[in-house]
Amino acid sequence: MPLGRGITAIVIAGVAFSAIAQQFGGSSSDQRQAPAPLPSTPTPPSGSISPQSAPAPQNLPPPAQPPQAFPPQAQGQQTGQPPSNQAQAPGQSAPQSQPPSPPQPQVDESALRYFASQGDTRRLDAEIARLRALYPNWSPPTDLNQLSAPIVAGPPPDPDIDRFWSLFSEGRIAEARAAVAERTARDPQFRLPQDLATALDTAEARTRLVNASDNGQWRTVLDTATQTPSLLTCANIDSLWRVAEAFAKTNQAARTRDVYTYILTNCANPAERLATLQKALPLLPEQQIADLLRYERKTGTDQDDFSEIRDQLALRRVDRASSDSKQTASAEDLAAVETLAQESTDSGAALVLGWYYYHHNEPEKARQWFQTAFDRTPEQKAAEGLALTLRALNRFLEAENLAYEWRDRSPENLSAYKDIFVATLTQDPPLRLDPRVLSSAVPVITRDQFYNGAQALGWYSYNTGQFATARGWFDKALDWKPDDEPSAYGLALSLLRLNNRNAFNGVANEWRTRSQRIADLADGIYDRAASTTDLTPTGPLTSGGPLNPRTAVANPPPAQTQSAPVSSRGGYDPRQGYDPRQPQTDARPVDQRSSIPANGAMTGAPMTGAPMSSAPMSSAPMAGASMNGAPMDSRQAVTTTRQTTDTRLNYDNRQPASARATADYASPVEPAPPVTRQRSYEAVEEIQVERPRAVATVTTARPAPSAGGGGGGGTGGGGGRQSCASGNAYTLPAASALSLGWCLMELNRPMEAVTAFDQAIKRGNASTKQEAAYGKTLAYLRKDLTKEAAIAAAEAPQAPQRRTELQATILSQRALAAYRDGRYTEALLALGERARIVPEQNDLMIIRGYAYYKLGRYNDALKVFQAVQRTGYSEDAAAGLNVVQEAIRPSRQF
Amino acid sequence: MMGRRKARIGTLAALLVSALLWGGPGTTAHAANPETRRLEGTVSPENWQAYKSRFVEGTGRVIDNANGNISHSEGQGYGLMLAFAAGDRAAFEQIWTFTYTEFLIRDDGLAVWKWDPASTPKVTDRNNATDGDILIAYALAKAGVAWKEQRYTIMAQRIARALGRTGISKTTGRSILLPASQGFGPNDRPDGPVVNLSYWIFEAIPTLAQLAPEYDWNGLWREGLSILQQVNASKMRLPPDWLSIRDRTQYRPADGFPPEFGYNSLRIPLYLLRAGMTDVEWLKTIKQRWLGNEGVAVVNVLTGQIRERLTDQGYRALSATLACALDQSRVPDDLKTFEPNLYYPSTLYLLSMSLIGEKYPQCL
Repeated sequence: MPLGRGITAIVIAGVAFSAIAQQFGGSSSDQRQAPAPLPSTPTPPSGSISPQSAPAPQNLPPPAQPPQAFPPQAQGQQTGQPPSNQAQAPGQSAPQSQPPSPPQPQVDESALRYFASQGDTRRLDAEIARLRALYPNWSPPTDLNQLSAPIVAGPPPDPDIDRFWSLFSEGRIAEARAAVAERTARDPQFRLPQDLATALDTAEARTRLVNASDNGQWRTVLDTATQTPSLLTCANIDSLWRVAEAFAKTNQAARTRDVYTYILTNCANPAERLATLQKALPLLPEQQIADLLRYERKTGTDQDDFSEIRDQLALRRVDRASSDSKQTASAEDLAAVETLAQESTDSGAALVLGWYYYHHNEPEKARQWFQTAFDRTPEQKAAEGLALTLRALNRFLEAENLAYEWRDRSPENLSAYKDIFVATLTQDPPLRLDPRVLSSAVPVITRDQFYNGAQALGWYSYNTGQFATARGWFDKALDWKPDDEPSAYGLALSLLRLNNRNAFNGVANEWRTRSQRIADLADGIYDRAASTTDLTPTGPLTSGGPLNPRTAVANPPPAQTQSAPVSSRGGYDPRQGYDPRQPQTDARPVDQRSSIPANGAMTGAPMTGAPMSSAPMSSAPMAGASMNGAPMDSRQAVTTTRQTTDTRLNYDNRQPASARATADYASPVEPAPPVTRQRSYEAVEEIQVERPRAVATVTTARPAPSAGGGGGGGTGGGGGRQSCASGNAYTLPAASALSLGWCLMELNRPMEAVTAFDQAIKRGNASTKQEAAYGKTLAYLRKDLTKEAAIAAAEAPQAPQRRTELQATILSQRALAAYRDGRYTEALLALGERARIVPEQNDLMIIRGYAYYKLGRYNDALKVFQAVQRTGYSEDAAAGLNVVQEAIRPSRQF
Repeated sequence: MMGRRKARIGTLAALLVSALLWGGPGTTAHAANPETRRLEGTVSPENWQAYKSRFVEGTGRVIDNANGNISHSEGQGYGLMLAFAAGDRAAFEQIWTFTYTEFLIRDDGLAVWKWDPASTPKVTDRNNATDGDILIAYALAKAGVAWKEQRYTIMAQRIARALGRTGISKTTGRSILLPASQGFGPNDRPDGPVVNLSYWIFEAIPTLAQLAPEYDWNGLWREGLSILQQVNASKMRLPPDWLSIRDRTQYRPADGFPPEFGYNSLRIPLYLLRAGMTDVEWLKTIKQRWLGNEGVAVVNVLTGQIRERLTDQGYRALSATLACALDQSRVPDDLKTFEPNLYYPSTLYLLSMSLIGEKYPQCL
């Protein structure tokens, strides 16, 4: 059976099929209207491919059928086309396994035979050399010598034909065509020899087919194949592959399989046979590939080895199951893929195994494979898989580190980073975190308005005693997702800790109808005093795994009548579900354990181990810095909680370790960016309450005012609200106005004091002026109005000592303000300026250390903290050293 | 099968012959009458040789040497037309071989428009360009009849049908020529449909109508003139290369293109004259500009400002042809010798001189 028939039938049938589909689809082309018949299919000189006469077998012979003989006439002119050398695909070697006689020329020998027939030995030799170069295993036919004989007796050779062949054999098809056209124009009787016509048609068709295929013009590929059956031979295996692809791309998978079956049935080259299956892999469903595998030749000289295809199929099956935990791969497939992964140098199979085990609950195996993949090719999928797997193994810090590093590579990597970040922050007990973990998340969270991240920062801050910061982040989360109940709950809890009743009431009012637990919180503050002693720390807190606060309300865990774990732990776990029958008792401001003296609680509680310890408020700058949630945040918390009844202080001896962990490893959390949407319970008022308190301590540090001032000792804002000497500053004599100013300062009402001092400056004598300017400067300083303070200081000349004192205070405030705003270099400049006029005190050295730290000047930071440490033990310095060392050497895993 | 094909071709050839006698769409409100060009023998062998040696590769590729030596379907079409006009069958076959194997690979039977020797794959834009398609089909049809070459005629018909199917849009109720099958239709862009009036190669339309009579070539022909008239009556006067006709009451330059009467549009007078449509009103508008002080130029159609004066021989040949056709002016001596430099103006030169040689020999 002539070789061409089967494949032509396939192609024609396929095109007809597509034509039918096309018509049903409503459109048609003229090629469809005039199907298949156009090919100028001349009768080949010997042998024949005659698509018109071929019975059209729809199914190819069964696998057992031996390879067919190839037609002696050959079409595989390989050089005619510049870009299409794909035809010499993997290991282009001639079929050696064919029976020796008759020879099986898959190679196009038409030019060769022509030159032989012309006795043109020079060209004949050139053509043999060319074909040998193309087909290393090819040997020239032995019958060439006989060809020249009969020609001699025939008509004289046509030199034009000679030239045409010559151009053809050099691949100059257009020029050959042009030469033929010229001859035809000159000599209308001229007829192109059929073999040359076929050779030219085939070469053109191949070029066109390759171009169409390269450009995804599949119908052109199929049309061309239909019109040029001479192209569909084993010598043109690249064209066959492209035709198969065209069928696949036009949803004719069965035709695709037919073409591959044809190749495996008829074409002998082992490398091409294997390549055929490789081509089939991405195009055909598994079962059809399996069918093709049955054509593997296991006997004879040219045996096939299709094992790599079987491995690929196993890989495909494992891959399919790799993202679906409900599908399992067979042990054989897994073993095959593991072998494949071990033996290969790329990461593909290892990745598949990683994902498979990740989704099938074998994280340790998954980690090993992801690690292997990552080591071979550090790319985004491997990084994502490895990070997720580390998280699944509760190796949060490693997971976070890796995920962070790769976060910008792809949306998946970013998503993994976010998930891991949230999981890392919401662990209980809180993990000891590198400050980088927190600081680097802030830009991502802000950029993407990632409310879960903001909420996680809120909980982390809350659970590490940084309530002001917690409040800021919960606020931010609500800003981005106003209906996020867990964030509202966190906000409410934070506000309670901050003793900010007004703001708390605002939240409670807004949420009361939507969140029972917030309502209970509001009610509980006043109605339910202490009943937590009998609560035991059971429940969700003790279970591991990532937290998802959002599910807290949606999926309440079974009611735990004795849960309220936080009350005995000091930390709130957002996982804890809401149970109306069991209000969250942890939030009660007055725990019965609050009978523990506040001071005792502070010093004894693990809280004090936080990076910013609860050192007495000896240093105003420190308190000032803490305002903004800079590293001193926990001090802020302490400041606040000391004055309220801290619900967090119910530490229990039952859980010292865990509680200590909470505090010891807390990293300072950066403050939330400004909330854009103002809510009624916004932070503004709180700042007003707290700031004077902090600044008040400035007066503690200053030398007592010299005269008439009524004492300078600030009381930290805790003073009563008694009134000063009666009178209106505007009508009082200057000296009285001055006294009123000092009195108001005493009462921590600095802005009113400014008015009084102003009057004294206006009307007083030189010494009164001087004193009043001094007072005014202090008043502004207390309000953190550094610029105004500097101006006031210049309103009247001051004694040198006092001038220095004011200048130093102004500079320290400037440094603190700069530090708060993250302008660390400016903070250092101000500190430097200050250090030139007065010795730098320890608290400011701590600020200096943190400023160095923030700027990444770890060694400078270390030196500063060590210097403070040498002046005597300082918890602040110890904490600073700790933080810097953490930055230099990443912390160990907890 | 062969017999049936032959029979069909016989009919086709008869149709084409009758095309020569076709009254066609000229019997409309327009006074302009379409003429068919003989074309063959209107480019001298010397001029063609000079063109071919400079712009046609041995592979049959026509090179646009002003555009990074790329090729495009328009260039292949012009190459075929000029080879036919010069009676060079060999060159025609050569250019056709390249056109067929490298350009005519689209599933819809049209030509990809852009081919870059420096790229892999060489085709850098698979979209078609309908002017290139029209030129190729027109040249094939001409050559098929003149040289009795059925391969050409079959392909001409195939392309004409594909053009009728995808190049003519009737979505607006009128038959317009889309510049390409993708990207210019009413649903492809907010200001679509967008047309390029220089894609209306009027002399080819009767031939295409004979090849694929089932499509509305007549309406297409009329619509091209109508759009041109409307532009002429508008403030713009000159059509921008890319024109949005979405708003029927107010055509405007298409978004994203310079609002210029540019290298595309300056072919319009030549195409009108080649089709014998000398009494189209707009020709007076362009005559004022070209034969006044301005000369052939790229002009901003909104401001009337000149961006670039075009002085190459090929562009001056355009205005000389206009002067010849409308005023019987003689062609200046310095235009009588072909001095090929760049592909595009050289092509315009040969097409201009081909027309003058065929229809206005008195201008020489």
